[in-house]
Amino acid sequence: MDPVNGPPKPPTPVRLPVLNAAEMDERIPFVASPYVRFAVLDDLVNMARANSLWPLTFGLACCAIEMMAAGASKYDLDRFGAGVFRPSARQADVMIFAGTISCKMAPVIKQLWDQMPSPKWAIAMGGCTIDGGPFKYPNQYAIVEGADKLVPVDVYIPGCPPRPEALIAGILELQEKITGKTPKSKRHKGKRGNRT
Amino acid sequence: MNPHPAPALERAHDDETYYLNMGPQHPSMHGVLRLLLRLRGELILECDPVIGYAHRAHEKMAENRSWIQFLPNTSRIDYLSGMIYNLGYCQAVEKMASIEVPVRAQAIRVIVSELNRIQSHLLWFGTFLLDIGGITPFLYCFDDREKILSILERVTGSRLTYSYGRFGGVSQDIDDVFIEQTRSFLTRMRKQAPMYHQLVHENVIFRKRCEGVGVISREVAHDYGITGPTLRAIGVDYDVRRAEPYSGYEQYDFEIPTRTGGDCLARFEVRIEEMEQSCRIIEQALDALPDGPVKPAKFIKKLKPPAGEFYFAVESARGHFGMHMVSDGGDVPSKIKLRTPSFSLLSSMSEVLEGTMVADTIAILGSVDVVLPEIDR
Amino acid sequence: MSSLDLSNLELGSEEAEYSSVGFHYIHRAQAGRIVAVAEAFREAGYHLEMLTAEDRRTDLEAMRLVYTFSRLDQLDRHMVTVDLAPEIPGAQAPSLAGIYPAANWYEREVFDMYGIRFDGHPDLRRILLPDDVEFHALLKDFGRIEDAPDEGAANK
Repeated sequence: MDPVNGPPKPPTPVRLPVLNAAEMDERIPFVASPYVRFAVLDDLVNMARANSLWPLTFGLACCAIEMMAAGASKYDLDRFGAGVFRPSARQADVMIFAGTISCKMAPVIKQLWDQMPSPKWAIAMGGCTIDGGPFKYPNQYAIVEGADKLVPVDVYIPGCPPRPEALIAGILELQEKITGKTPKSKRHKGKRGNRT
Repeated sequence: MNPHPAPALERAHDDETYYLNMGPQHPSMHGVLRLLLRLRGELILECDPVIGYAHRAHEKMAENRSWIQFLPNTSRIDYLSGMIYNLGYCQAVEKMASIEVPVRAQAIRVIVSELNRIQSHLLWFGTFLLDIGGITPFLYCFDDREKILSILERVTGSRLTYSYGRFGGVSQDIDDVFIEQTRSFLTRMRKQAPMYHQLVHENVIFRKRCEGVGVISREVAHDYGITGPTLRAIGVDYDVRRAEPYSGYEQYDFEIPTRTGGDCLARFEVRIEEMEQSCRIIEQALDALPDGPVKPAKFIKKLKPPAGEFYFAVESARGHFGMHMVSDGGDVPSKIKLRTPSFSLLSSMSEVLEGTMVADTIAILGSVDVVLPEIDR
Repeated sequence: MSSLDLSNLELGSEEAEYSSVGFHYIHRAQAGRIVAVAEAFREAGYHLEMLTAEDRRTDLEAMRLVYTFSRLDQLDRHMVTVDLAPEIPGAQAPSLAGIYPAANWYEREVFDMYGIRFDGHPDLRRILLPDDVEFHALLKDFGRIEDAPDEGAANK
């Protein structure tokens, strides 16, 4: 130890500039061949997450059947990467609330939600999970009127039950939310030129 | 979360037994059922089903809605036999209020009910085999099921939960395209039903998991009021369509398939044959389809049936679905009790599952085909 | 199996028109006699098809239990009603769980929804609602639409 200068000081941390995509394109020279691109790691990770959403097998009531139909042969959720239904909450990314949430089920849902590791998303499928649906009436004692009373919901899919195509549209909406970009499957170069 | 074990399971146990909680979220496709099991190794010593996780207060809603407003609820009680429940409720109210149903509407009701029954059995087939471990049949049967759903969607507008019946008829007539699509579906189904049978029937794993497993005896069935394909797999040929004919079923010629084994294999075979019999009924109904109106002559919005107690039953895909209705003469029911077949089936499970292995539990519960929202209402 | 003998059971029996009401006979039984009635039906080969209750405290001053016994081999449905005291808690009836195991869950449901207790039931606890709720859901004075809190109030 140097008695004059005291103990060695730790090196000052280097602060890298935080750039957005446009600034990066400006400042980082694109030297590689067209087959190699530099991308922000987050974008890549989000793209991976969005295209391999693993739902929790969580059918509560009627909407569960349409969720099963969406995963089956005609509507095939697997081509969007979301067909791997996991029974264990520890392995799932997205919880699709398919069916009415009864008061007795609410603590179970909360426990499952807490068991899911981050990042996790929630899709409220069907009218019952949006606000109680057909079972909502004044002084209803048995149900929780809406999944967003329990967990933060990312995508709402209306319907009673929603068609499997509606569930697929909801999954695509969630993919868009995760990546920030409209997925190619959803981009529609129609006459109106917009997504719908 | 407090598991609320039953007092039976709180008895002193030795070091070799342990408690296993199955559900309410678990991989098999039965719905939100919770089984509290006391196990010694893989052997179940005691089983306590806990239900109520899908309780949506149908019976309370019945007392707070008028007779016509309760109609959408009926499809959602057992969503796999949604059409049968919906039309069964309409028939019950028609009987109470002495409303005549035109013959064409009755025939249409039979056609869509039997299509609904085939669709329910197809879904059962896929999920039962999925539970046992065979994933491929699930994809086959959903494909056929989609054909039925698009036929029914054509006339009702929805795929799963229908409000097609009206008091005195049905809401819309069927057209030629419907008839043509149904006939081509029947032709296809006649080829597919033997295929479903052959796909799995000789499979060694399927036989070992189903043959001799989950035998329900006649005494147990009688004790618990079991009906439906489970009862017919024991050898009792009870079917509400034959015992208490409704909607013109007495004019159609169909068999009631039975087996004597009472095990999972027998229940499987009964349901495959029931699909074939349903095809037969649909064909007869299409051939004899009468002309005429399908909607009631005069649609009564504020229906006021006479006061009294009534009971009416239909044969759903799961068994005898009964409705006990109490009317006080007003336009809101005083009480509707829904006597659902799965309730009786599941209540017998605490006796049937004792002494079986955990893996057999999945096969047995799958083979008796319970739908939890029907139990919890 | 013997034929159905309902004499000496203090029943008020009436024949009913099946095609209009759906059952063949309706019997009014006393609560103390329901076990004997159930045994008579069981001896004769009937099964318990349904057990439910009605809240008739306003018009009949009673809590009513309704049983339906039926046969599989022929069409013969008997409805039996039992009127109990119009107090909740307080109304109780003997349990049929020892005679018909089906009654086990039906009686649990009646207890859960109406608060009627059954003496001799092996395991009388709630079945559909959570175990810790305090209300009985299907009573007429519970959960009425008129009593609903205002729109926008926090829901549970």
